[in-house]
Amino acid sequence: MKFYRIMAVARRVSRDVANDKRTLAMLFIAPIFAMTVFGLAFSGDVEGVDVVVVNQDQGFTTSPGNIVHLSEKIISNLDTQVLNIQNMSNPDDARQKVVDGQASAVIIFPENFTQNAVLKTQNPSYPDSAEILIQGDDSITNIKNSILKTANEALYDTMTQEGITPALNITSDPIYGKDAEFIDFFVPGILAFVVFLLTTLLTLITFVGERSNGTLERVMASPITEGEFVTGYAVTFGILGMLQVAFLLIIAIVFFNIQVVGNVLLAFLTVAILSLVSLSLGILLSSLAKRPEQAIQFIPFVVLPAFLLSGIFWPLQAIPDWLRPLSYLVPPTYAVEACRAVMLKGWGLDRIWPDIMALLIFAILFLALATWSLKRRD
Amino acid sequence: MDSKNEYAILTSHLTKKYGNFTAVDDLDLKVKKGEIYGLLGPNGAGKTTTIKMLSNIIKPSSGDATVFGGKIPEADIAAKIGYMPQETGVYLGLTVEQNLKFYGRIFGLASKDIERRTDELLKFVDLTDWKYEMAENLSGGMKHRISLACTLLHQPQLLFLDEPTVGVDPELRVSFWDYFENLREKGVTILITTHYMDEARRCDRIGFMKHGHLIAEGEPLELLKNSGMDSLEDAFLEYSKREGKVVT
Repeated sequence: MKFYRIMAVARRVSRDVANDKRTLAMLFIAPIFAMTVFGLAFSGDVEGVDVVVVNQDQGFTTSPGNIVHLSEKIISNLDTQVLNIQNMSNPDDARQKVVDGQASAVIIFPENFTQNAVLKTQNPSYPDSAEILIQGDDSITNIKNSILKTANEALYDTMTQEGITPALNITSDPIYGKDAEFIDFFVPGILAFVVFLLTTLLTLITFVGERSNGTLERVMASPITEGEFVTGYAVTFGILGMLQVAFLLIIAIVFFNIQVVGNVLLAFLTVAILSLVSLSLGILLSSLAKRPEQAIQFIPFVVLPAFLLSGIFWPLQAIPDWLRPLSYLVPPTYAVEACRAVMLKGWGLDRIWPDIMALLIFAILFLALATWSLKRRD
Repeated sequence: MDSKNEYAILTSHLTKKYGNFTAVDDLDLKVKKGEIYGLLGPNGAGKTTTIKMLSNIIKPSSGDATVFGGKIPEADIAAKIGYMPQETGVYLGLTVEQNLKFYGRIFGLASKDIERRTDELLKFVDLTDWKYEMAENLSGGMKHRISLACTLLHQPQLLFLDEPTVGVDPELRVSFWDYFENLREKGVTILITTHYMDEARRCDRIGFMKHGHLIAEGEPLELLKNSGMDSLEDAFLEYSKREGKVVT
């Protein structure tokens, strides 16, 4: 082993990197970007969960003129950083909010809540106990657990403050996601993630190849239009995306026994549109890369936002408030939300259309930009 | 007086700039229908950039260019053009036959015509035995041969050939040129770049390019005679010294 030969190679590689200013910049920007996104997305606990409280508690008169409302004390002990509380009087209207996806749960205090708690404290053999009813969307396990944890803490604090000895109970009666486990929550997200990731990267690499080996030039010198060329790609990758989803779904259903309560075809439609978004993004990025190694530098910028901000592994409520708007700039967010709503809640097009619309807007915008990038011809 | 109809290619003040660098500078080029016109010059002279502008691959910074009397982005003009890039322009993940089929389809050829032309052209480029082989498994020269076959498939009336014989063995180069001359007899116009002077001699006319300019233009023998040199290499050097005025 000769030192001068080793140094010759080292020098050559260093010069190669130094000559490519973008590679040099990426070597420093990509880790900072990764660390920042990871750090920020991971540091947040679940916050800002929308819940509706229906307080029907009539209170209990302990002495003339002194009516106690334990429910109010519990409500005041609820952590408002975790829960965004809205008060309503009609339980049916409140439940409808959960059904429509406008709230994650309804917390109902029944009429005799305080009465049962006080009487049970005075007489342990009193037959009725004080129970809070939580009816929620249990399909997102992190959110379900956060609501239960917050409610339990508020109950415990109130019991301690008021000297209520028998346990106050929480009864859960899910509106969505009965018996849902993390895998049920996870699979719809991973479907969207896999399609987004593979389609974007595959198109990116393929298009860099098209640009560097002369095939794109030859095609552009033919009567084919840029729009036709991009659409041709879209057809293939749309079909491939749906095949990927079909394959993943079969595995998830057969081997992981996941819940699918909605129309799977809607999930396919969602993912097909996402694959259009992804391929357009791949083509766009390819216009910024002359060589495959430059294309690879884009991977962290494609993977990390989708991985961390689109709600695949944890709900958007677990992303800090100020960072959350960025999630809505990441296309997979809408696909994850729509797939989850279809598969876990059984929602139809009438309810997931805002997500589909958002994806279509991304698809049209990105397809137009991708076509424009081919038309530039500098 | 020249009639515009007799020209396949006409450019006027055609210019391409990349930042401060001018790749093609104020080029006035006239290529007659049915002639083989060779663009010669050192690397970076602007030959490939000229061909790319005429093939609608890059847009000129200024100036005009017409092909068969029409502006270049017109689709019916593109259908008459065959472009062979310097890179192979072949899909490595497809077989030889699949490459030809793809290019045949985007030019709107019928399946049976694609099949017929594929067989004809593979015989011409001596790749019949490799018809079902993946392009990535073939040598550089063979890929160039596929590239030429793809260019000729739709029987274009105007060929832009950017160094078509690089990596091709001498015997096949001769047969390529016989084929080009045969196409010329059928009225096909060819604009070709090459570094081989024996090939340049077979062109009807030659344009010497340097620094984006056309520094001399004419029939090969005429250029030799006017320069007083015996070889086209020396003629090019001589014209380089006189650079500033196009000599025809």
